[in-house]
Amino acid sequence: MVIQKEKKSCGQVVEEWKEFVWNPRTHQFMGRTGTSWAFILLFYLVFYGFLTAMFSLTMWVMLQTVSDHTPKYQDRLATPGLMIRPKTENLDVIVNVSDTESWDQHVQKLNKFLEPYNDSIQAQKNDVCRPGRYYEQPDNGVLNYPKRACQFNRTQLGICSGIGDPTHYGYSTGQPCVFIKMNRVINFYAGANQSMNVTCAGKRDEDAENLGHFVMFPSNGNIDLMYFPYYGKKFHVNYTQPLVAVKFLNVTPNVEVNVECRINAANIATDDERDKFAGRVAFKLRINKT
Amino acid sequence: MRQKRSEIYSVELSGTKDIVRTDQGDDKEKYRGLKNNCLERKKKNQEEDFQKELQLDDHKLNNRELEKKYGTNIIMGLSSTRAAELLARDGPNSLTPPKQTPEIVKFLKQMVGGFSILLWVGAFLCWIAYGIQYSSDKSASLNNVYLGSVLVLVVILTGVFAYYQEAKSTNIMSSFNKMIPQQALVIRDSEKKTIPAEQLVVGDIVEVKGGDQIPADIRVLSSQGCRVDNSSLTGESEPQPRSSEFTHENPLETKNICFYSTTCLEASTSPIGTVTGMVINTGDRTIIGHIASLASGVGNEKTPIAIEIEHFVHIVAGVAVSIGILFFIIAVSMKYRVLDSLIFLIGIIVANVPEGLLGTVTVTLSLTAKRMAKKNCLVKNLEAVETLGSTSIICSDKTGTLTQNRMTVAHLWFDNQIFVADTSEDHSNQVFDQSSSTWASLSKIITLCNRAEFKPGQENVPIMKKAVIGDASETALLKFSEVLLGDVMEIRKRNRKVVEIPFNSTNKFQLSIHETDDPHDKRFLMVMKGAPERILEKCSTIMINGEEHPLDKSTAKTFHTAYMELGGLGERVLGFCHLYLPADEFPETYSFDIDAMNFPTSNLCFVGLLSMIDPPRSTVPDAVTKCRSAGIKVIMVTGDHPITAKAIAKSVGIISANSETVEDIAHRLNIPVEQVNQRDAKAAIVTGMELKDMSLEQLDEILANYQEIVFARTSPQQKLIIVEGCQRQDAVVAVTGDGVNDSPALKKADIGIAMGIAGSDAAKNAADMVLLDDNFASIVTGVEEGRLIFDNLKKTIAYTLTKNIAELCPFLIYIIAGLPLPIGTITILFIDLGTDIIPSIALAYEKAESDIMNRKPRHKKKDRLVNKPLAVYSYLHIGLMQALGAFLVYFTVYAQEGFLPHTLINLRVEWENDNVNDLEDHYGQEWTRYQREYLEWTGYTAFFVGILVQQIADLIIRKTRRNSIFQQGLFRNKVIWVGIASQIIIGLILSYGLGSVTALNFTMLRAQYWFVAVPHAILIWVYDEVRKLFIRLYPGSWWDKNMYY
Repeated sequence: MVIQKEKKSCGQVVEEWKEFVWNPRTHQFMGRTGTSWAFILLFYLVFYGFLTAMFSLTMWVMLQTVSDHTPKYQDRLATPGLMIRPKTENLDVIVNVSDTESWDQHVQKLNKFLEPYNDSIQAQKNDVCRPGRYYEQPDNGVLNYPKRACQFNRTQLGICSGIGDPTHYGYSTGQPCVFIKMNRVINFYAGANQSMNVTCAGKRDEDAENLGHFVMFPSNGNIDLMYFPYYGKKFHVNYTQPLVAVKFLNVTPNVEVNVECRINAANIATDDERDKFAGRVAFKLRINKT
Repeated sequence: MRQKRSEIYSVELSGTKDIVRTDQGDDKEKYRGLKNNCLERKKKNQEEDFQKELQLDDHKLNNRELEKKYGTNIIMGLSSTRAAELLARDGPNSLTPPKQTPEIVKFLKQMVGGFSILLWVGAFLCWIAYGIQYSSDKSASLNNVYLGSVLVLVVILTGVFAYYQEAKSTNIMSSFNKMIPQQALVIRDSEKKTIPAEQLVVGDIVEVKGGDQIPADIRVLSSQGCRVDNSSLTGESEPQPRSSEFTHENPLETKNICFYSTTCLEASTSPIGTVTGMVINTGDRTIIGHIASLASGVGNEKTPIAIEIEHFVHIVAGVAVSIGILFFIIAVSMKYRVLDSLIFLIGIIVANVPEGLLGTVTVTLSLTAKRMAKKNCLVKNLEAVETLGSTSIICSDKTGTLTQNRMTVAHLWFDNQIFVADTSEDHSNQVFDQSSSTWASLSKIITLCNRAEFKPGQENVPIMKKAVIGDASETALLKFSEVLLGDVMEIRKRNRKVVEIPFNSTNKFQLSIHETDDPHDKRFLMVMKGAPERILEKCSTIMINGEEHPLDKSTAKTFHTAYMELGGLGERVLGFCHLYLPADEFPETYSFDIDAMNFPTSNLCFVGLLSMIDPPRSTVPDAVTKCRSAGIKVIMVTGDHPITAKAIAKSVGIISANSETVEDIAHRLNIPVEQVNQRDAKAAIVTGMELKDMSLEQLDEILANYQEIVFARTSPQQKLIIVEGCQRQDAVVAVTGDGVNDSPALKKADIGIAMGIAGSDAAKNAADMVLLDDNFASIVTGVEEGRLIFDNLKKTIAYTLTKNIAELCPFLIYIIAGLPLPIGTITILFIDLGTDIIPSIALAYEKAESDIMNRKPRHKKKDRLVNKPLAVYSYLHIGLMQALGAFLVYFTVYAQEGFLPHTLINLRVEWENDNVNDLEDHYGQEWTRYQREYLEWTGYTAFFVGILVQQIADLIIRKTRRNSIFQQGLFRNKVIWVGIASQIIIGLILSYGLGSVTALNFTMLRAQYWFVAVPHAILIWVYDEVRKLFIRLYPGSWWDKNMYY
């Protein structure tokens, strides 16, 4: 015989709930008496307090193993990546020549980005370094000795410097400047003591055709060794990242052009299958003209 | 019955891997209820049918009427054409096998049961998420597709596994179903033909020889010394004679009906038993067919463990779904995109569901089933393994289960003295005084006045195991004398039998006349045995110490006292007497004539009494005591006589030595039974007749109030009533049985136990478990295993649930604090289905912490498998500690690579943006997306290793729930260490072996990170030892109540 479960009426259910919330006979609130609740709250207070303390302690111990100035491990950063400015949502530089608003935001960003590169600021803060060699600054026994940075003047970017430029980095004329920068990696001697430069090209043949001519600043897309090594945010306060500006002169309008720029340096591999930004950067360029 | 089983399995399976099934569960519940109702109705009808004892009146008809009714001719039989017509109308003469669930349905059930639904939902969410991504961005990453496929793969794999497990146990039972095709000798077209029994039709005239099975229900037309063994049908253990006379109104009792599937015995008393009869019922319309359908109609209770697992699945699925939805809402209100929130939801579901657990439970159960099979308990239904452990009432058969199922000489009375014979299984220890010359005479009678013989070719078989041709009593006497006197056949040869009168029910004695083995004594010896009072009537002298004394009143009185005493022990008593026939009256050449009785049969010399019983198995009293201390009530249910039942119950301890029944008290105080206070009696003996007149309430009262109950003279249907009564007490009832008539009760019971040797196929089919040695004591070992497995399953589940919090927290933190994802969904699956599997199975090998046979059976509604303390302790204590430990490893990896903990907060969006390839870390370095992703995978691996290391500690602490690990012995369970080793090895392979396979998201982790979580692991161990210490120190305290699971 199967004993049927009695169906509880709605009222009974409510009644049961009421009793669960407050049981006047046993003085239980939610199934526990006051003392029991007090115990349980006290217990969890102590227990979780203890766990927090324990976790904080172990975290503190762990942080002792980490220096504030240089990372403990850099194995993931063997190959620095490249990036472009202006920074856009999908790595695409789209310019509607006639539509000011389409490129104005890029221009604003660039203005802001290039501000620290102003010659006056550079002169004021940074050293003039000897080109063609690394600017090494050993601690010489003084712990955490602050490091000086080399000047990278905005004027080095030529017509892409945007200084007194009515064309707004060429965006208003459909000849935009795109700035290439290489990711900072602490204590990385880029180029392995040989000169290096950035080159750009269309990704595929048709892209190359559509890309047209471009000029680079500094000339030839060179990046000087004196900007390396980087000593980290804490030491190298005024470090100025070297840039390469590329001005595209006659991109075929109304076509999306895939551009890829890569750095040619002895110790930077640019053929990583998985990391598409290792030593290179790919972006889309589209000039819309009516 | 098959159906029942598959249903149970579906739950178990549902056990084995389901996930999201809360709402679905409701549907199933409804469906189930519906089904039960149907069954109920059907069953009631059937029961009515059965109680009407079938509208059968063929036994009242004479041959002429029968011929007319069935359109047949007793001499000529049916014509072949007529037979073919009938066969077409009624169908073959075989039982319809119970409907079988198609394999594919069984398989599909595995795919949707338990947690599977949750995982299916997860998988579909993955694909939907990809669909949405794809529609907005053609180059969307395929990660979600992979994840969905992996989830489906997990569901399918666990489903296949569960299906395989089920199929394996189904195979065990299918071996019971094998039936040898039966042949029947039938008269058709005036010719005797042998045809397959399946083709028999109503009206066929069949001939059955001794030793054959009755091929259908038949009305006996003529019979020669035929007796049938109806034990499988009525529980009656004595063979019943069959003849063509109508002797009883009740078709079950009348002598002129033989039932399908009972056996026609080869009786030793007549040359060969044959019976000719007319087939009156075939196939499902036979009595057996009715019982079989009754059994399959009995509703199936879910096994306790199935209920527990369902309960557990509901808890986990409830937690998963509610946390999932809660955080979905939180995520949406935190302005996450709905798509992202969906993906979080998947992560939360996957983290919350212990994918491997249900498979583990199945494996654990089947391991125990294997262990039990070694101890002679063959478990057909895996879940029954645990049911036995929670059993609170055992309704046991008497014959064969509690007793040895053979008559054995228990007492002797001669020289005015009762002697006790050894009734143990081998009779080795006969200690009574055998020097008296009365014994010499008695033993001679026992040896000679006996027709039983050993079957030839058993020279090397121990005497007690030899097969014998002859009935139970004679067998007992034969073996008894063979043990005491040596070669009985040789003695018989030396005392050549001249003539004999076999036992028959009118004479109630058996007599034979022999030549003596003394060559100088030419007298004949007449020996006689029979019902004691009949024998005494024929005697005028009695032998005491070898000398004949006249039988006077006082000796007659001592005889009666002894007879009553032995009868009171429930034993079958036989009297023995002899007479040396005077040589002058009966010369050697005298020809004895048994029909003329030309020899004296009175004024004999009474020699002694001998009583026999089917003695209890020697292991049973111990087993009953164990049941007692384990809080299990043992109830004897037997078709036997109350006095015999009581005697056996007393000797095995079902009625303990100092407890009395109402009748005993009345007898002691010499007052009428009605005046006895019912409460004074601990024991009760209820007969079938009393039971018939009882209301259900009265039965309940008896079951509740008496500790020791014996049901005697019960019918099969009453057994079912008793089982139901026990179940109304909320008891988990185990029932033993062997006959076809037991199968409804076996089915009805929470666990039906069939006898492997004596049991009929129907009983074995209906049962959940088969006792291979028919021994009650094996049940007790089964109980022990069942209880152990319940405890160990608790440990397994606690172990498995713990890490779910450690897997879940990352997602919660990820959503709320925006850290890069600490552990990936795939990685979680590697823990749940990889590193954790062997350790959780290893816990099944854990020994009991204390004597589990000294506690009460668990209350099926109160002592849950997964109770609140277990969930709270696993989730909120150990689980949380684990999560913290794993986060520590994660933060360490990130910090040492340059992302200090504070830089990680709210980094999620930038971190995961594929177009941000110059993300700055704490030191001002810039990271491309791939570099970050690789670091993220390293984080996964680190988190994984953190959980792994702490799961080792978790595994060790779960060895015990109350005792210290050091009390339990750290190294006693070697399998645990195999588990730990497997965990570490799998971890190492994943990290260092497959670290280069990007799809798996594992990376080669620096060696030192394996040790970061060790302090937390030690903390877990220490904390748990403290918990157990307080539980032991303050039993019953607040701590005990809240912390003991």
